Amino acid sequence: MTTATAVLDARGLTKSFDGHPVLQGLDLQVREGEFIAVMGPSGSGKSTLLYNISGMDTMTGGNVHFAGQDLGSLNQKQLARLRLTTMGFIFQHVYLLKNLCLLDNIVLPAYLAGLAPRHELNQRALALMERAGVAGLADRDVTQASGGQLQRIGICRALINRPQILFGDEPTGALDSTAASEIMDILGELNAEGTTIMLVTHDPKVAAHTSRVIFLVDGRIVGDRQQDPYTGTGLDQRQHDLTAWLLQHGF
Amino acid sequence: MNLGSRPDSVAPPGKVHVDAADADSREHGHRDRGRLRLGPRAGGLGMYGRMAVRDFSRNRSVTAALVVLMMLSVMLGTASAGTLVRLIGASSDLMTRADAPHVAQLHAGEFDQQAVDRWVAGRSEVLHHQTMLMLGIDGANLLFDGEPQTASIQQNSLVVPNTQRDLLLDLDNRPITEVAPGSIVLPVYHQVESSLEVGDTVRITAADGFAIDLTISGFARDSIMNPAIASSKRLAVAASDLEEVRAHTGEVEHLVEFWLHDPATQTAGFTRAYQDAGLPQAGPMVDSRTFRLLTMIGDGMVAAVVILVSMLLLLVGLLCLRFSFLTAVEQDYREIGVLKAIGVAPRDIRHIYLTKYALLAGMASLVGLLAGLAVIPLLTRNITRYMGTASGLANWIVPGLAAALIFVALVLFMLVLLRRFNRISAVTALRAGATSQPRAARLRLHRSRLPVQLRLGTMDVVGRWPVYLLLFFVFAVSTFIMIVPVNSATTATDPAFINYMGVGTVDVRLDLRHDDASSQEQFERAVAQLRSEPDVAAISPMVTTRHDTLDREGIPASLYIENGDHRLLPLTYADGRAPTDSSEIAMSLLALHQSGRTVGDSVPITVGGQVNDLTIVGSYQDITHGGSTAKSVLPTDGEEIMWYVIGVQLAPGTDATATAQALGRDLAPARVAAIEQWQAQTLGPIADQITIAAGVSALVAIALAVLMTALFARMLLARDAGPIAIQRAIGADDTGLRQQYLTRILLVLLLGVTVGTLAANTLGERLFNLMFEAMFGGFDMLFQGTSRIDFAINPLLAYLLLPVVLLGAVTAAIVASSRSISTASISSLTTE
Ligand SMILES: Nc1ncnc2c1ncn2[C@@H]1O[C@H](COP(=O)(O)OP(=O)(O)O)[C@@H](O)[C@H]1O
Ligand SMILES: [Mg+2]
Repeated sequence: MTTATAVLDARGLTKSFDGHPVLQGLDLQVREGEFIAVMGPSGSGKSTLLYNISGMDTMTGGNVHFAGQDLGSLNQKQLARLRLTTMGFIFQHVYLLKNLCLLDNIVLPAYLAGLAPRHELNQRALALMERAGVAGLADRDVTQASGGQLQRIGICRALINRPQILFGDEPTGALDSTAASEIMDILGELNAEGTTIMLVTHDPKVAAHTSRVIFLVDGRIVGDRQQDPYTGTGLDQRQHDLTAWLLQHGF
Repeated sequence: MNLGSRPDSVAPPGKVHVDAADADSREHGHRDRGRLRLGPRAGGLGMYGRMAVRDFSRNRSVTAALVVLMMLSVMLGTASAGTLVRLIGASSDLMTRADAPHVAQLHAGEFDQQAVDRWVAGRSEVLHHQTMLMLGIDGANLLFDGEPQTASIQQNSLVVPNTQRDLLLDLDNRPITEVAPGSIVLPVYHQVESSLEVGDTVRITAADGFAIDLTISGFARDSIMNPAIASSKRLAVAASDLEEVRAHTGEVEHLVEFWLHDPATQTAGFTRAYQDAGLPQAGPMVDSRTFRLLTMIGDGMVAAVVILVSMLLLLVGLLCLRFSFLTAVEQDYREIGVLKAIGVAPRDIRHIYLTKYALLAGMASLVGLLAGLAVIPLLTRNITRYMGTASGLANWIVPGLAAALIFVALVLFMLVLLRRFNRISAVTALRAGATSQPRAARLRLHRSRLPVQLRLGTMDVVGRWPVYLLLFFVFAVSTFIMIVPVNSATTATDPAFINYMGVGTVDVRLDLRHDDASSQEQFERAVAQLRSEPDVAAISPMVTTRHDTLDREGIPASLYIENGDHRLLPLTYADGRAPTDSSEIAMSLLALHQSGRTVGDSVPITVGGQVNDLTIVGSYQDITHGGSTAKSVLPTDGEEIMWYVIGVQLAPGTDATATAQALGRDLAPARVAAIEQWQAQTLGPIADQITIAAGVSALVAIALAVLMTALFARMLLARDAGPIAIQRAIGADDTGLRQQYLTRILLVLLLGVTVGTLAANTLGERLFNLMFEAMFGGFDMLFQGTSRIDFAINPLLAYLLLPVVLLGAVTAAIVASSRSISTASISSLTTE
């Protein structure tokens, strides 16, 4: 897996808000099929990193190549199109649109991309819901589902356009531990099937599910740890090892 | 409780925060929203103050819109009240200074002053009477700056100005009692309509080669013949000049004028007594009520339109107030709950809001009042020109009162809105933190074939329509105030409008007043000549006679009945049909109302000294001769003939204006006018004023729509920062998002324009007719159905051009204000 090509290549990435630097010359390569956890103290720039390498925010300096394209050379419309068709996002607060039912929320990015006939996209969405264990909620309103269910809907939405990479910003942050581990199981399965995933988290238990952990402090990578892909057993041991490593780096 | 707009999403504990709709509070830096502070300051003024200030800055757009609306409605309310009071003031000032007669009878032909004097000696109610000699000059013999007045429908007469009563006034409202030989003083009407100046020349010619040049030495306001619709005009000259002209040309008429002790109660009885006494009356008789009406019609209509616009703006302002208020309550829901929970009385809570909104209303009213006072001179330009200005405290008090009244209405409305507070329970407010559950979307994206953004826009409008209600009203009202005046103007200038002037579809109209026995011969000669003209296709000669009848109270009254064959060149009847013999009568809507009868009834008419009961077979609209006329086929021999009218239909392709002019020369003193010209000259000035009002209100409408759209779009974008950021995060681009917002507002616009147009053509038409009812019948004729004019709509203008202009303006406003879409991004959402 380490021999695979880099889908995402960030060099000298800097970002500052009102002159205040948040990312300070950051280098990061993400290879196809990786499952990465980005960790770090609150305010260290984890979310900012995610938004800048995905072109959602405009970086202050450096460059990012995604699937061979230089993000800095794309305009707003092209970036939107790139995100729409090649990236998926899941967020801590899910961010669903309240005036749409759950199925509508999932199909929206697909309709926007318009890569397949609508009835086919609807079928694809229903299949994803089935897989995520939320079949039957299609016609429900956003207020008529639990937090865990909503996060699964968020995952379905992120996957609807068959992205090359899935980004997550603390997707389990607002969930209780049962719901969180169910979400991590789903993500693990997706990764096993080949989806590249990059997650921001501050929870070592979540990070223990991944194959690579990056530790961020003050906008710099201070640690980069490879671990074996999680196979469903020995999570406590993995978490223990990871915590020890994190403590070494000032967690 | 549904408060009409979407609540902020304050997620209950343990639930996922779904949507970040409170992004606008973050934008303004109020991060402590929704957090409870039960510290020592919580119940004190600190919290009150914070709530008020926060509300201002949080809802800047809505607050701004509210202030602007309140200001505009106060401004127009003030301006229209100011215009009305000045109109009434100036016209009564003019009448007083000029000492206008209470009753005046114009008489052409032989005149016996002694007979009048003898009769007056026996009438105790007469205070004064006097007779003025008027020398009517034919339009062809009267040249202003070399320009013959043949096309003018005005009857111009030379007079020697009175010195004591019924005075002509100069432009400073000082009496003109003397005109120097060689000079002439023209009515203001000619100054305005023919753009004349002091020093210009008026030439009077005669068939025998006589010509005299008079220099304009000034212009005069005439208390009884000022406006265009009073079709006689008095031109003042020196006695010597009048005599010189009279030796060569002109038709002598006498204007017999009376002043009564108590005109309010004595006028009606006096006029009837005069008419029955067999005194000189070959010509119209008018009283001061008519003078006043004629004087005020045009400007009164402008004021009426401005009042209408101001009322509608007030309505929109009230809606905006409600909207702004609900938004504030919704956002402060928790705080209100806290205040209630710790025992603050609802009265005190209401007090915070009332103070704030009343302060806004007060400020807006003050600025609106000042702006309104500044606009008054613009609206009263015409009044000032024709009547001057009456000084007086009322000119300032009445506009001030209007502003105060609107202010009071606003505060009262606030008090009604504030009652809502009593319904907020502390417990539900604290527990839910939201005023209503988000409604489930009824439309489904995944079942639609529409383009995504179009569909999303539609779903949003349908899903939370109460939010768009205000905008909908704004668009409907804008359309209404744009279309009604425009339709009124097109109606007044439409060729079909002559139908309402008591004549059928004719091309040329001949008017001849009955002066003496020779008039009858002139009429017969005209009929004969018209019959022999090759260009004339058909004519309908009519003889109007005066008859006694009984009004709805059974009191004797006069009725003018037009006799002839009404089946020739017929007009459109509101009800029923034309009378076919002497047992039938058709009455104008106003006359019918005055008689207290309806079509199918019979009405007593004195014919040949005997009372006959005529069957009313039809009713029609007539705005000529004061609106009260009738049609029948009575014998006219031996009756009191008033005037003659001949409707002429020309052969196709004949030039009506040229023919009318040629006939006018041949058939003098009958006045012949092409009907379009006749209409343009009688109704033209009124139509011009309506057109001005239409222009002003169209501008106001567009400004209102643009302003409200811009503010609303900004507010919507601020409120929707969350959903926008989400959509952008999942890959929607700005163009698409803009399309979505455009769809929402254009959809509302479409609905608003449709409803506004429908209302304009139904309600607006009714309003237009009310105006005519008041104009011709006075205020007691309002709502009596005496006016039934159909809007003549110019579909291109009303259904295409105006909506397109509105659409364009609104679209531009949305596009301009949707630039701020770009500022909402996901990183601002996640910074918690
Ligand atoms: N949109 C923004 N505007 C200003 N400052 C921001 C913005 N987003 C993030 N920051 C700042 O950048 C720093 C890093 O934020 P973030 O990347 O959200 O940290 P975290 O690692 O907790 O996700 C913080 O100090 C935050 O205040
Ligand atoms: Mg973060």
